[in-house]
Amino acid sequence: MELIGYTCSYIPLEILSATGLKPYRLLHGEISLSQKGETQVRIDACPLIKSNLGFLLENKNRFACIIGATGCDMSRRMVEVVKTFTDIPVYIFNNPRTDNFEIYSNEVDGLVNELEQFFHRRLDKSIIEKECEKWEKIRQHLISIDAHRRTHPSALSTTTFHKIVKGYHQGKFEEIAKGVPEEISYKPRIYLLGSPISYESGPLLELIEQRLRICGDFNCGLSRGIYIRVTEKSVTGLKKAYFNQPPCIFKRPNKRYYEWVEKDIKATKSTGIIAFVLDYCDNFDFEIPQMERCLPLPILRLKSDFSFQNISQIKIRIDAFIDVLASLRGGVV
Amino acid sequence: MKKIRTHAPRKIGLAAWSKQFDKIAEETIRKYKYYNNDEWGIYFSPPATFMVYGLRELKRLKFDNSLEALRMWGFVFNETERLFRAKQINKKLIATMGDLGTVPVLVMAFPDCIPFYPECLWWTPFFKESTELLDTASKLGIPEATCFSRAVAAAFYKKAYFPRPDLIIASTGASCDDYSCVMQVVENMGYEIFWVETPCRKSPDFFLSRPKPQILEKSSAGLVYSKILEEYLIKEYQRIWQVLFKLTGVNNPHRLTETIKKVNTLRRMVMEIKKLNAEAEVAPLPALELMTIEFGNLYGYADFDEWVEIVAALHQLVQKRVEKGLGVLPKDALPIAWVTPSADPFLLNLVEDLGCRVVATEYVINQSLVPIEENIEPLRALARSFINASLIGTTEERVKNIKEKITQRQIKGVLITNMLGASHCAMETRLIERLLGDVPVLAIDIPAPFGITQQIRTRIEAFVETLR
Repeated sequence: MELIGYTCSYIPLEILSATGLKPYRLLHGEISLSQKGETQVRIDACPLIKSNLGFLLENKNRFACIIGATGCDMSRRMVEVVKTFTDIPVYIFNNPRTDNFEIYSNEVDGLVNELEQFFHRRLDKSIIEKECEKWEKIRQHLISIDAHRRTHPSALSTTTFHKIVKGYHQGKFEEIAKGVPEEISYKPRIYLLGSPISYESGPLLELIEQRLRICGDFNCGLSRGIYIRVTEKSVTGLKKAYFNQPPCIFKRPNKRYYEWVEKDIKATKSTGIIAFVLDYCDNFDFEIPQMERCLPLPILRLKSDFSFQNISQIKIRIDAFIDVLASLRGGVV
Repeated sequence: MKKIRTHAPRKIGLAAWSKQFDKIAEETIRKYKYYNNDEWGIYFSPPATFMVYGLRELKRLKFDNSLEALRMWGFVFNETERLFRAKQINKKLIATMGDLGTVPVLVMAFPDCIPFYPECLWWTPFFKESTELLDTASKLGIPEATCFSRAVAAAFYKKAYFPRPDLIIASTGASCDDYSCVMQVVENMGYEIFWVETPCRKSPDFFLSRPKPQILEKSSAGLVYSKILEEYLIKEYQRIWQVLFKLTGVNNPHRLTETIKKVNTLRRMVMEIKKLNAEAEVAPLPALELMTIEFGNLYGYADFDEWVEIVAALHQLVQKRVEKGLGVLPKDALPIAWVTPSADPFLLNLVEDLGCRVVATEYVINQSLVPIEENIEPLRALARSFINASLIGTTEERVKNIKEKITQRQIKGVLITNMLGASHCAMETRLIERLLGDVPVLAIDIPAPFGITQQIRTRIEAFVETLR
């Protein structure tokens, strides 16, 4: 067993990695995996959850354990389904949905303690310090790569960035170490937000980027998570850094999410927003009207279930969105 | 004084109820009033009154024919009027959302504070046979494939179903997402919300290694949990206490102790009614009334004192019927368990008409059914009672009692009612089917108001045939 699975960006990677295993974020989104997951949950469960379940059912021997979190409701419940249908040991990390640092702090301590006992390995100060250095270096490198996307004109596509950042989420660093290709684009600049971008979402990003350039995002699976800054290389430092990461939309209230996104939209000089929402992803679906009210740019909502059955529709809608962007800018996008 | 005739227990429709109501003495009608007000607090009316006011489903429903049940329906359907009255007489209305049963105990400990659950409005579109609230929710951008509790966001938007609350307390955390999202939408409309964390009840199954016994505790319902959860909840309840203190200027812990006693009186009666109903040879009350009684535990339909009296009367009625071996369903009605409350009350009637009898329920409100400890510090007692909450733990724990009843052969089948797209339904239904697989399980999606089709009837009929 080489992997330690996890489900949420609030779970510190450094602590998981200190076990000697590769932290593997469960971010699968592929229709056949989703169908496999559907054997254990209803069809109206989130496609990402179903896909992750499918992946775990196919790869159960690769996982030493799964660390789940109380992020969204379906994600939390996925851990119980995994426990019922596989032999993979599971743990639930109580990630508070309100601004409650005490709960978060206790939960991180609990996680450290639990991993130490389970793996019979002391996660001492020096191990944590080493892990903090390693992951911080990777994140800094990814931030420097992301800067290519964000420049004006954008010098890196999100399609390529997605391939690179996958390594971070899967605990594989080969892709990250490679050089960055030059992909200058003068296409209309847009900002992507919404549900997680899965490992298999490349074709969707490619489709968007045939006509537009995604030069910033707020998505799990893309840049969300790489902007966690660990300055104090200890468990205490990890708690502070992870708790104060780019705020999740699941938090209540989620005002800080909007503040962050608005700031980032300005920084990336985006001219439009694409909100990618997975079927039954309530946390984003319910928020679209608020996004339309709060965020200063036109928004295109794309809904999908990973099947790409609606690919032609998505294509037409992107084209129409470009017309909208053009009309707002006197024909120039 | 007119003499009230005692009728043999049975289920009757609206017309029969109106006829029976004519025979009730004026003194009896005037005897019962909400907020103890003689002038405008009378609520005793036949269900036809509320049908005329717009609850059109009432003409399809069948009710228990007792005076006690009639009194209950008058009180329950009068809630909107009651909430507006409360505001008129300067009571403070506190919307308690998401936790289902514990925060109102805190609220009631403060003078002139009336807690109410906006989520209970999810029944309104069905009682009204109208999609108006649901359509408004769609216009507000709430997806159609979500829990019917989205009607609540529309009610906040329309400002006609209850007065503007003086305070909104909303619990979020390890609970269903649909409702957490509804509450966020309400906040986005400009309502100020006081958010409360409800952490996950982590059972030993969700630890990698065996947790040390000293970090664990057992709840009153026998659920094992991390002790730290209790401390988290106490701190959250302290925050609520502070905000209510700020609102009312009153800080009297003794009132909380008294409120807990009152709440326990109700909870014990309801548990006793459930037990009597399940064990009696003939069902003493219909499932629709039983569900209404069970949900009254949440907040007493905005007049807790009167509700306790109503339930006490129903309790006596059930006792009498059980003693006499009387009931409302045939003796051979098939005992089933019902998991997740039905947004459409008509289904409860229908399932009984097709030959079943509901003897166990899991309506996601386990936390409001357990007695609160009276011999410990009140906030800790509240935390300990909430720890039994249905939605903060695992599905296995949620259906534990039903599983036991299956083992004891008290239940022949299980009916699950789902909402398409509701987060916990999507994830739990298959698990429940698997966990309760020793008996036939039927899972149905609740259709939109007035949407129960022949197909649903046929599925229930087939389920009943399987049970026989």
